[in-house]
Amino acid sequence: MALSSAFNKFYKSFRNREITKQLCGYLQYATSSSLIKNEDFGANALKPVSEDLSTITPYFPNTFNLAAYVNQSDTLKNLVNLNVNLSKIEKKPFIVDKILKLDFEKDMKSHIIFLNDFVGMEEIGNFITKNPMILCEPLEDLQVRVNYLYSKGFKGDQINRIISKNPFWLMFSTIRIDDRLGFYQKCLTLCGREVRDLAVKQPKLITYNLHAVKCNLFVIKEEMGFEDNEVKEIVLNKPKLLMLNQRNLLERFNFIHNEMKISHQTILKTPEILMCRKFRIKQRHLFLEKLGRSQYNPKKENYVPIKSLIEDTDTEFCRNIAKCSVDDFNTFLKTL
Amino acid sequence: MVQFRDAVSAYKALNGLICVYKPPCVPVKQVMHIVKTNLCRDLNALPGRPIEKRVEIVGSTTEPMQVKLVPNYADNPLVCGPRYINDDIRCSWATHLGLFSSGVLLLGINEGTRITYKINVGRPTRAFKVHGQLGKATDTYFWNGRTMERSTFHHITREKMDKVVAHMQAAHQKTMFEQSGLQMDSQQTYELASQGLIRPADNKLPVIYGMKCVYFNPPNFTLEIQSVNEYDKYLWTLIHDLGVQLKSTAYCTAVQCIRQGKFDVDLALLRKHWSLEHIAYNMNMCQEILDENERLLKPESAILSA
Repeated sequence: MALSSAFNKFYKSFRNREITKQLCGYLQYATSSSLIKNEDFGANALKPVSEDLSTITPYFPNTFNLAAYVNQSDTLKNLVNLNVNLSKIEKKPFIVDKILKLDFEKDMKSHIIFLNDFVGMEEIGNFITKNPMILCEPLEDLQVRVNYLYSKGFKGDQINRIISKNPFWLMFSTIRIDDRLGFYQKCLTLCGREVRDLAVKQPKLITYNLHAVKCNLFVIKEEMGFEDNEVKEIVLNKPKLLMLNQRNLLERFNFIHNEMKISHQTILKTPEILMCRKFRIKQRHLFLEKLGRSQYNPKKENYVPIKSLIEDTDTEFCRNIAKCSVDDFNTFLKTL
Repeated sequence: MVQFRDAVSAYKALNGLICVYKPPCVPVKQVMHIVKTNLCRDLNALPGRPIEKRVEIVGSTTEPMQVKLVPNYADNPLVCGPRYINDDIRCSWATHLGLFSSGVLLLGINEGTRITYKINVGRPTRAFKVHGQLGKATDTYFWNGRTMERSTFHHITREKMDKVVAHMQAAHQKTMFEQSGLQMDSQQTYELASQGLIRPADNKLPVIYGMKCVYFNPPNFTLEIQSVNEYDKYLWTLIHDLGVQLKSTAYCTAVQCIRQGKFDVDLALLRKHWSLEHIAYNMNMCQEILDENERLLKPESAILSA
């Protein structure tokens, strides 16, 4: 682990110089061998040559990106035809270095056929853009990881969803995935079916940085003051909450709970309100308050559902909830 | 709204001044970044230029060679990246607004950065709405600071407030003449002063031309201030001084710029409207204002005009 991170650092520092050197090596490999064969040391440089010289290519200078080489490489061309975004891959030179060693027919084809069963042809480009390193994993390992999911009782379409939504899932060994599923099971006291639902609903959460997840669980439980079973309900309803920035999450909650006076019970019923950016909730709430319509209690008249603050466009919000024109709302926004 | 057919013409049209509404607690730098990112997003969504062709000469050199025209993969957006990136768009502000201030912010896009420079040098007046609260003083004079002192404010009436505000305005008008850089007892100064308000010689010294209490409902009140060379902290201290002169304490709760030169808040674009079509439309509106008022960019004398 430490070794690989040191490796990454090394490559980052050497960035493009390293890639290009490597690349020049591969692309010129074929040409240089033929050159040596044909070389005739005593020949006059100006003498007309009768041999086939089409295998000789000009020298590839060092460059900063893959675009310089894409016209010469069939592998890269095929990747572009699959809609892989090379400009995003080349941002990480150490990945480029590994990808360039692969040959399309020999190394990539079987992987792409394998992934096609789970991801679908339209999404495969996107998938490889996000996780090009999948092409370097042994195919048997990938099959083992899929089999592991079957053994844990996931259905076929669930596995398709997991793999297509989270391109990094298959990079994790079965032991690590098992650890992580166990972590969520223990942390939130979930039963087997609930763990599966969580993994299918938000596959990225399982491979997410566990430190961030623990922080967010702490924020929801200790700082916001939800009970254990309530935390479980919220997380199962909106798993993405665990992947947010903890400071933003707490700021939103503070505004909703302390300034809008929304109770924990209401937030529990509509946890999506915590997913909305604070300024959007704030401006709609202040507008309703100005109109005297900020009444979020369903038992009294003129009830405004809390969900209406986050969904729909401003025009629909003004027409259905605030009962005024959107221009009034825009004028109000210019007084903030 | 302005409709663009392709990205190239749209990019060429993006030269000029825009007027946006800066929300509070969002730094100017971030506003510029959002504007640039949104413009790039919208430009890349428009149909761009076609992918270039590439001439390839293939075949053995001993035989007649073939010349082929093939699509150039290196020019594909998937390979060379999106056509427009943030670095392609230059953006600069005309006058700075602090982190906690909100309101009218003039931004120059591409060639418009020259206009913002001229506006910055031309020093148009800015009008502010400064919201304050009586009864509390903080160490930063703003809502984000620690509370240093609390006091009563029941003795403050609208009349007292107006009196003190008028007194402060008069004091500032006196300093305005002193800062004009002229000798106070000369004929030249008299002639200049008889024409009306004048600008300060130094562009660092804040000068206030008008101050008015527009809303008074203790403990909250709102002042409207017209000034030159001010900055957000200066306006906060003004509220603090006002509190002291009213024999109480006060701190600032919000600073909102409602006008800069001829650009007022009605023109400003809200955060949800920072997209290519709205920005292009706004750019045309701003250009019309600039064409009508040439003095905005080139003030002829020290007389305050806009």
